[in-house]
Amino acid sequence: MFINAAAPRDPNLEKFRMEVREFCQTEIGPEMRRILDLGQHLPKDMHDGWLKALGRKGWLTGHWAKEHGGLGWTPEESAIFRDETDGAAAPWLAPFGVTMVGPVIYTFGTPEQKARHLPGIRKNDVWWCQGYSEPGSGSDLASLKTRAVRDGDDYVVNGQKIWTTLAHWADWIFCLVRTDPDAPKKQQGISFLLIDMKTPGITVRPLITLDLGHHLNEVFFEDVRVPAENLIGEENKGWDYAKFLLAHERVGVAEIGKFGRYLAQLRKLLGETREGGRPLSEDPGFRRRLAELEMNLSTLKAMHADALAQGTPGLISAAALKIRGSELQQAILQTMTDVLGRHGLAYQADALMAGWNGELVGPEESAGILAEHLHRRAATIYGGSSEIQRNIIAKGALGL
Amino acid sequence: MPAFSSEERQLLHDSATEYFADRYGPERALALTRDDGPDGFGRAEWKSYAELGWLGLMLPEDAGGSEGGLTEAAILFAAAGAELAAEPLIPCLVLGAGAVTGLGTEAQQAALEGVAEGEKILGFLHYEPGSGFARDHVETIARPTADGYALTGDKAFSAGAHAADLLVVSARIGGPDGPVGLFLVPGDAGGLHRVPAPALDGRRGAAATLDGVAVSADALLGGTTDDRLAAIDRLLDRAALAVCADMLGAMTKASEITTDYLKTREQFGQKLSSFQVLQHRLVDMRICCEESRAAIHAALTAQDENAPDAAIAAWRAKAETARAARFVGGQGVQLHGGMGMTDDLGIGHYYKRLSVNEALFGDAAWHIDRLAAREDARAAQPAAPEMAGA
Ligand SMILES: Cc1cc2nc3c(=O)[nH]c(=O)nc-3n(C[C@H](O)[C@H](O)[C@H](O)COP(=O)(O)OP(=O)(O)OC[C@H]3O[C@@H](n4cnc5c(N)ncnc54)[C@H](O)[C@@H]3O)c2cc1C
Repeated sequence: MFINAAAPRDPNLEKFRMEVREFCQTEIGPEMRRILDLGQHLPKDMHDGWLKALGRKGWLTGHWAKEHGGLGWTPEESAIFRDETDGAAAPWLAPFGVTMVGPVIYTFGTPEQKARHLPGIRKNDVWWCQGYSEPGSGSDLASLKTRAVRDGDDYVVNGQKIWTTLAHWADWIFCLVRTDPDAPKKQQGISFLLIDMKTPGITVRPLITLDLGHHLNEVFFEDVRVPAENLIGEENKGWDYAKFLLAHERVGVAEIGKFGRYLAQLRKLLGETREGGRPLSEDPGFRRRLAELEMNLSTLKAMHADALAQGTPGLISAAALKIRGSELQQAILQTMTDVLGRHGLAYQADALMAGWNGELVGPEESAGILAEHLHRRAATIYGGSSEIQRNIIAKGALGL
Repeated sequence: MPAFSSEERQLLHDSATEYFADRYGPERALALTRDDGPDGFGRAEWKSYAELGWLGLMLPEDAGGSEGGLTEAAILFAAAGAELAAEPLIPCLVLGAGAVTGLGTEAQQAALEGVAEGEKILGFLHYEPGSGFARDHVETIARPTADGYALTGDKAFSAGAHAADLLVVSARIGGPDGPVGLFLVPGDAGGLHRVPAPALDGRRGAAATLDGVAVSADALLGGTTDDRLAAIDRLLDRAALAVCADMLGAMTKASEITTDYLKTREQFGQKLSSFQVLQHRLVDMRICCEESRAAIHAALTAQDENAPDAAIAAWRAKAETARAARFVGGQGVQLHGGMGMTDDLGIGHYYKRLSVNEALFGDAAWHIDRLAAREDARAAQPAAPEMAGA
């Protein structure tokens, strides 16, 4: 079909939208609001408090089916929830538990694994991180080398993961490990393991990124004994579960709901920044760019809605959304950076610490915006790089 | 006739390239810019530059200089940019010293004493919180007093201004409609409050507040109350061009580093450099460097020959180079994958330096607007030849 027939609007959905909006307004207190508005680093306890509040409402996993303890939201309801929380610049909905390992566990896990892990994810009692990438295996994930050898009731894990977001906060990590190095295809010798971060032999080392923030880590495994009951599904079938999960990751990774918030920030910045004494919001070049970014966002949202309406988004939609979403994110942040160029691009990274009271240079939001700009250079790299997404469309959809 | 022969230029290029490659680089730059001290750059390096004669490259002979042109200085800036040198070469040599040399009275040339020797650093405070990139918007006021002037106003963040011993500061003389003059203000003047901060790439600078800063009558450059906006415009064009040279060094290096990386990094059982889409990306990065080099070269020649289109050539060079820098810096990070995001590795620091340089003294869009405004002037006057300014 060239034209997708749109479903009529459902008034109940609008009620839900208002409910989420109101919740965000009341639950995000002034202290947290200020940290979020300035783009400062949110301390773990505050972040945790917010996610737990969502957990109590059941909203953290509202998109899970009722049989798994979710609310059985429709795709539209999930979209509204994301839209509203992103739009309120609520703290990041770390996906590692709720949209990544959770669905893997309820789809492929044993009854014991479900009973043990799902409640902690629903309530955010447990922080998870994703141990996929390795120094030698990024885009070519299936070449991963971290080794797990069966020894009695345990696997013994040796190797290294890298770029592990939030490993320094995480209680558990889900890992892809090599269990059969001799399998005829490299995808066939991989298993999916759940590992308690407190297990002896695990070392976490911070990786500081361009924004000077600590988001990423290296995780080293040295003779780490993991009970075999923590294996998901079958040994050597891990790649299948990983692929299932990657499909989930790609749709969520674009965080489109945030972009409207960025644009509001850009508009504010344009109004407050003067060139030759006049606000930049009157500058024809910036007016044009703003209009273009708004157009791109509205198209992206329409693409997203179409993809959701199809149920599980097709290959092209997911990859295209990831490509265009990350590009737009970078374009908006670049435009804000161009405005801040008028202030000489001073970057006071210390101002990102909540409670900083040094002497400010330039607009008070600038450190947060520039940090986001630098950090989101990675948006076209993580979750499958733009090049890899294009390969997916080329091979999978165009048959090239 | 250029002050330097081609051989001398080659020699300068070779010695500067060798110096920075041996003694500088991202690691040194990081150590210096992250240092807790007030400078954020190398005092020892600054001394070496003096000993090598680089700080006097463009200075008059009387000030211990070798009277080179912007081309000579650009050779130095490109070499410095290639290794991310953190010292405030451009604000000191092109703007601060450039203003004094070009506009100062004979007596005021004394302000240059110590610059070539590395004993004094000059700075430049012109842009303001309300100016954006516009160069004619000055709200700072120089109120005449019994024995000179009192300067009051706010100046925007300016690279190198944190460390300057002597600052050249613009202000309107008498009141909001007065002519714009440039004043020599010592860094330790009473009423001058500097707020130091790092830029996105770690190089430091400062914003400043002037609260009735008292200077004597002979602090006014040139000693006349003639409006200096056109001269400031020319100085900033030269500074923009100098930044282009820094960008050229940095983007050429970034493009080389990325090419080398893709030749060693393997995924899917082959070198990343074997993927044609990545080869083309590297080729485009390289073309960006070549284009920028050509545009910069043309603009430098026009500057040093005082050609009538020197300003236009500088605007074109800044716009072209800033665009090229955005592509090269962005792709440099992208093609490194996760490695591009780490603070440990050089490529990200090239990205940040190029981002700052893009904006310094007007970004690509702003310069293209200037070129477009010139089209308006051309339309109004169909028969006019190429003009020197807008
Ligand atoms: C901020 C951030 C957060 C991350 N969080 C996590 C996490 O929590 N857990 C985790 O496991 N991983 C995480 N990652 C890792 C991420 O998934 C990898 O960086 C990504 O898969 C790319 O791998 P790489 O870094 O090894 O780059 P490489 O694979 O080495 O790629 C380098 C460049 O080559 C290109 N390229 C590679 N192959 C091809 C090809 N066949 N054709 C064309 N171009 C190609 C890439 O697109 C890229 O531009 C994170 C990364 C970042 C930057």
